[in-house]
Order: sequence, then structure tokens, then C-alpha cells
Amino acid sequence: MSSGLERTRPVETTEDDLEALLGDRALARDDHLNAPGFVIRPDDVQDVLSDLRDEAGFDHLSCLTAQQYEDRYESIYHMKKYADPTQEVSIVVPTTTDDPVSESAAPVFRTADWHEREAFDLVGIDYEGHPDPRRILLPETWQGHPLSLDYDQEKPQLVTLSEHANPIQPDHHDAESDTMFLNIGPHHPATHGVLHVKTVLDGETVVDVDPDVGYLHRCEEQMCQQGTYRHQIMPYPDRWDYVSAGLLNEWAYARAAEDLADIEVPEYAQIIRTMGAELCRIASHMLALGTFCLDVYGDFTAVFQYAFRDREVVQDILEDLTGQRLMFNYFRLGGVAWDLPEPREEFIAKTRDFLDELPAKVDEYNDMVTSNEIFQVRCIDTGVLEPEVAKDYGCTGPVARGSGVDYDIRRDDPYGYYSELDWDVITDDGCDNYSRVLCRMREVEESAKIIEQCLDLLEDWPEDEREIQANVPRTLKPDADTEVYRAVEGAKGELGIYIRSDGTDKPGRFKIRSPCYHNLSALGEMTQGEYIPDLIASLGSLDIVLGEVDR
Amino acid sequence: MVGAITRTPLQNDDTILLPERIGDLTGLDAYGTGGELLAIFLAAFLIGNLMLAMTGVAGPWAKRKITAAFTDRIAVNRLGPAGILIIVADSVRLLSKELIIPENADRPAYDLAPIVIASSALLGFAVIPMGSGIHLADPEVGLAYVFAVAGIASIGLVMAGYASSNKYSMLGGLRAVAQNVAYEIPLVVTGMSVVIFAGSLQMSTIVEAQAATFDLGIVSIPAWYALVNPFAFVLFLVANFAEVGRNPFDTPEAPTEIVAGYQTEYSSVYFVLIYLGEFLHIFLGGAIIATIFLGGPAGPGPAELGIVWFLIKIWAVFLLTQWLRSAVPRVRIDQLIEIGWKGLLVLSFANLVLTAVIVGLIA
Repeated sequence: MSSGLERTRPVETTEDDLEALLGDRALARDDHLNAPGFVIRPDDVQDVLSDLRDEAGFDHLSCLTAQQYEDRYESIYHMKKYADPTQEVSIVVPTTTDDPVSESAAPVFRTADWHEREAFDLVGIDYEGHPDPRRILLPETWQGHPLSLDYDQEKPQLVTLSEHANPIQPDHHDAESDTMFLNIGPHHPATHGVLHVKTVLDGETVVDVDPDVGYLHRCEEQMCQQGTYRHQIMPYPDRWDYVSAGLLNEWAYARAAEDLADIEVPEYAQIIRTMGAELCRIASHMLALGTFCLDVYGDFTAVFQYAFRDREVVQDILEDLTGQRLMFNYFRLGGVAWDLPEPREEFIAKTRDFLDELPAKVDEYNDMVTSNEIFQVRCIDTGVLEPEVAKDYGCTGPVARGSGVDYDIRRDDPYGYYSELDWDVITDDGCDNYSRVLCRMREVEESAKIIEQCLDLLEDWPEDEREIQANVPRTLKPDADTEVYRAVEGAKGELGIYIRSDGTDKPGRFKIRSPCYHNLSALGEMTQGEYIPDLIASLGSLDIVLGEVDR
Repeated sequence: MVGAITRTPLQNDDTILLPERIGDLTGLDAYGTGGELLAIFLAAFLIGNLMLAMTGVAGPWAKRKITAAFTDRIAVNRLGPAGILIIVADSVRLLSKELIIPENADRPAYDLAPIVIASSALLGFAVIPMGSGIHLADPEVGLAYVFAVAGIASIGLVMAGYASSNKYSMLGGLRAVAQNVAYEIPLVVTGMSVVIFAGSLQMSTIVEAQAATFDLGIVSIPAWYALVNPFAFVLFLVANFAEVGRNPFDTPEAPTEIVAGYQTEYSSVYFVLIYLGEFLHIFLGGAIIATIFLGGPAGPGPAELGIVWFLIKIWAVFLLTQWLRSAVPRVRIDQLIEIGWKGLLVLSFANLVLTAVIVGLIA
């Protein structure tokens, strides 16, 4: 419908091409709902993945799911193309229960580094040749792997500071080097939650950065595995990226589960979802702008307060729509919980008022922030993330688009009502902190365009055709061993969900692909050789929410 | 357009200072040197308390209200009219907090640092003519004295940063030194250009030299050095912001980067002292600016109103720092040093030479 949404896609890699490329290395097929799947040997991983990237253009290792079956462990590498994320392939790597060792993919895709650490941490698969085989979410001294089948969930574990590696204990006076080790966080004014960044400094210059995550780990995946598809899982996504992006997260689960259970969502509900999601995106980007300015300006300044004031208006609208300020729990499988609030006209008018005032506010931000010379001096050419590096780390969302990677799931793998509306994907070639901020601010304007069109549609929708919910059975029991990996464009990037059904009304495996997790892993690359203030600014420009990083 | 500048005699030895006044009024003069000393102490006590009341009591409350106004908030409004009694509550709260001293702190440097920071600024007020006869001392080297005692604060910052045994404090202390060294020179050099105009370092002389007026046809404006040499005024303002460590030059504290810099490990009364020192320095900076650029206590109305005008000028400078704090991003430490050495230093020397040439030609 819209011209701005067309993109040239690369030639499709068919299943035949893939079979030809993999040849004997493909032991069997293990197709998923979203993609063809190939089973390979554990020592072929690097070979196969680099071939897929270099020969077939699968340059996006979107996710790695690890799980344990009764008879084996399994690692699934979900591969996509940045140029066309509808082209997917799953590489399934089974290993035996006795000796769960698989070749590491980290030398091929750097994003595999953190993924395989997480897989080792939670499931217990060893990755041979991994550059840094440590736990990542749980403390170093944790016993067992919580998502493995023989793990005793009832047994309490005390991980005391003395047993756990005490971050302030080691004496870092090293006669050989001139560097200084500095713990930034977990309690620090600029870590956006509980993030611990182990930093090595040479004077004020950053030599090495090692983000230590997991302080907010709640094993959301496990909690989702213990809830029923129909009702019990939906409240959890609100608690991943908990600041404003609730509906975007809910949509991630809704999309995966609806594909799994083959549920059609009524058009009217899709429009409401699209509108709600974009409202969340505006709120989230406002927060990102405010906190980034907090990091660069150095205090709770006017910009931060203005951003929060404007976000508050969105928050009010969302509260009217969903009944909640942050933990919305508004989406349902097959639709939404309820229609627009009555009186309908009032809600629409209120939302329109907000949209009408938005351009003036964006101008204000441009006057105060982006055209401020000191701000530009601080942000331009700092925290540089080259597009190839961004792809290597699996960066998505405004972080990737600020590096010129033209990738937006809303357009490239359409869902909801996006393909019917007129809007643009924002990219910027600056690759620095400044372009990431610009991207978010311009995305706010695009989101406003989407909401405007949704409101027009909702306003004119015939009263007797307002179907907000498809007919969904009370209990969902998808066929056993159906697997699906689906992603939506969350506020921070590609938020993906992998679900494997085991024939019951609860998922057999529930895996969350967090965009913040990937974006954060690129922090070291971005900040090496820069100054501490740039490290802080870069961290702010990544716009991470630790609830989503740690899950 | 600039008309003739009417000059008053350069040196003035007839200024009546506060200790003499007190001596006269209380009759302490009759008791010889001991009485004079007592009068001096009394005068110092009065001025010290006036400044402490302004910076320690009114300052933080005003800062909250001002910042709130800039950021669309209301701030304190529960205790007393406009929340003014929060000052009492805050004092009790701050003074009753536990004083936590890090195990590896280097004492007594750790304990002395807050006192050095606070007292160095307080000493500076001794030579500031505040109008209405409130002027403690008027040495011939007045301006040099103010810069000298204000500079002592740097030592306090290093002591605090080093003695705290904390890496953030250390970084903050190092930043503070680098910053103060870089900006002290432009500050003093720009101050010297004023001395060339006034022909004296003595504060009262500098103030009197600004009492002249320009005739601009219908209106006549005061010959304040801010108007005579606005370039020097701007340079001095910028260097002063760096000197007192306020946005855009608040790198030594830089809350989002190095937590709180040199004051990270200070709590309770020590924290209050450091905070007080910072406010005193902002107000001392304001007092110097008011004295050497804004005509000191000069203003319309009778001379007895001098102190009122003087305070208004100090608070105007304070307001400006708060405005910048709310609206301007912080520069990075390397950029800050660059601005200081490559920009301000060169400009301030250019200003000094130009001023000298122009003054020489006119005279």
C-alpha cells in the first residue's frame, strides 16, 4: 500500500539450495514452523554457520536456543538475513546426555559468545573452543543448571559473597601494568538498573570492558514454561522490558503463540494492537532520550524532566486503554482484552491531542538537545559501532538502524497492521551515539504517524464489526514437538520468542531472545579506547533495560 | 560615543572598614590593641555568619526551588511557606546522619579536606566590599589575596580525592586538579586586565573606579567593567564556572560518570562541609564577579542600600549557574582541558595585551 515500505530483498535461498550447500553435513531434517531445520553433527557447527553466512547470506544469528530432551541435549541456531528476515533457517545440533559438548560458534558470530554462555549456564551444554566459558546470568558458584531436566528446583541455594567471587576482594595493584581496574556498578548512577561493568582503565581511557549481567535474573523462561498458554503467560512479558514497552513485549509472545496454535487475529484487534504498541514505543523512546540526556548532561536536568512529562501523557493514554500503567496484560491470544474505553470519542480525542502536540515537543527537543553544540561535541563520533560489527553482535532496533543497518521487523517480516499503513523505517549512517539518539527521535514521529492512521481506522470502524477477539479454545494444546521462533520489533529491537510444545497446555521450552542482551554485548567493542564519559554515554545510547537483559 | 571618564583618586585610604565601625560603636577602641582585635573578631564573625546563612541555609533551598522551576516541578512545599522550613529539617537530618569513614582512609588528610575546602572560600570574603560599610579588610593586594585563598580549595579537593582510598574519588581529585590548573590561569589573567583599568589590586579602589559614568547622549550608564570590557567579563564568567566546578564544567563530580568524584566517600557532617564549601565557592565567585565587573555594591538609591545591591548581584550569578546546570550538557574531561589551555588561555592573554595597549593609549 505504501511506497516507503517497499524494500529490495535478496534472491530467496530455497530449501534445495540449502540442502545442496550443506550436503552431507545435514544429517536429517527437523523443520520448524517458521523455518526449515537441518540437524548437523556437533563438530560441524563453525563450518556450517560460516558457509551459511558467506555462501547463502545468512548474516544474522538471531538466537540460540538450548534445551534438554530425555535422550539428548539440543542447541538450535536460528539464522536469518538482515536483508530479509523472512528467510530463515534453523541449525539443530544435538549432543548426547552423557557428554554434552558441542563446537562453539563464537569464532563465526561474536553474538554466539554470550548466547553459548547463557546456554551453558541455564541448560548445561559445553561449547568447545568458546573463548570465555563462564556462567553469565547466575553467580559463578551456582550448583547445577536450572533448565536441565535433573535440576532440583526445590533445593535452596545460598550463594554468599565469600563463596561467590567477591568483586571488591582482589587486589588489583599490578606492578607490571599501568592500568586500573574499576567496578562501574552494580550500584552506580548511570547503569540503568543493576548492571556491573568491569572496566580496566588507563588513566581515563577505557582499555577493556566486561559487562557482568544477571543481577535481575528471574528465570522468566522457566516461569513461562510453568504457565498455560491461554492466560498464565501473558502477564510475564510486561516484566521483561518493564519501563514502558509492555505491549510490544506481549505482542512477541502473542505472535509466537498464535502462529504455534494457528490462531487468526481479527483485523480490528490488530489495529488496536498496532496503536497500543506504537504508543509504547513512543513512551519507551521518550524514556531513552531522557535517560541518555541524564547520562550526558550529568544531572536530572530540564531535558530529563521534559521527556518524562511527555512520556507521562502517553502513559495516561495507555492506562485508559489497558487499565494499567506499566504491567498492561492487555493482549490475549487471538486479540485484545477489551475494546477502546468508553466514551470512545473522548479517548480518541485525547490521543489526537497528544499527537497534535507532539511535533512542537519534538522541535523543542531538537532545540534543546540535538542542536546543542556541547551535546554534539559529546556525542558525534563517540561510541562508534560499525554496521558489520553491529551485525556480528546481532544488534537490532535503533542501535542497528543508527549504524545504517536497514532492518525493521515491522516492515521486513510484517505482522499486525503495519503493512497496511504509511510510515518509514528510519536509518542513520552516523554509527555513533548521536545517530542513535536521532534515530529514536525520528522514530517517535513515525510512530505518531502510525497511531494517527490507526485512530482514523478505529474511528470509522462500523460498530457491529468491532471484533476484538478471535474464537480461541479455553485450553490450548498444540501438537507435541511443534517448534516456532517468531520475533517482533520491540522498543529496543528484535524481540523473539521460541516455543516448543510438548503436547500439554504449557510450553516444553520457552526461550526469549532479548534485543538488549545483544546490544549490550557490543558495548566493549564500542567503547575500547574511549574515555569514561563516552563509555557512560554509549551505555545510555544502547538504551538497555536490565529486566530484559537478565530476564 | 564614549564620553570622558571622570576618574576618582586612585588610592583611597579613607574607607571606613567594619572592625573600625564596630570599635567605634561598642567603645572597644578604648581598650587598645586587645579591643581592636576583639572588634576584628566580631566583624569577621558577622560577615562569616552572613555568608554561611546565605550559602548554607538559603542556598540549598533556593537551588531546589530554582532547579524545580527550570524543570517544571514544584519542589519542597510542605514545611512552612514555600517549603522554607525544610531548611531546618534538612539540617537536623544531615547532622544526625552516621559519619562513615572508610577503613583505608588516609587520616588526618581525610578529615582536614572538608575544612580546607569550606574555609578557603570563607577567607575570600574578608576583602570583598559588600557595601553599607560591610568590609572586613582592604589590603592593597586585595584581588591577589582572593585568588590565592580561593585557589587553596584545589588542595582540599586533592586531599579529599586521594585520602578517601576510593578509585572514583581518586579520579575526581585528579580531574579537579587538572581543571583548576587549566582554568586558574585564564581567571587570574582576565582579572589582571581589570587591574590595568583600575590601576590597583585594592578592592575598594576597583569598586570606586567603576563609580564613574559614561555619557551616551541622553542616558548615562555606569562604567562597570562588565560594560567597559564585556569580552573580559565573559571570559571571567566561563573560567569561574570551571573554577567552581559547575555545568558545563562539573567534571570533578560528574555524578553519572564517577559517582560523586572526590566526595564519594564523605558522609554526614563532612559531606555537609564539602557541600557548604562548594556553595561558598559559587558565592565567592559571584562576589568577585560582582566586585570587579559589576560595580560592587553600586546601585540606585542611597549608599546604605549597597549590601542589598551586592547580594542581588551575587544571587544573579548563582541563578546563572543553576540555569546552566539545568540546561547545558557537561563537556568531557579532555575537551574541558582543551578548552582551557587552547581557548581560554589564549583569549585571556589577548584580552590582557589589548587592554594594556588601549588603556596605555587613552592615558
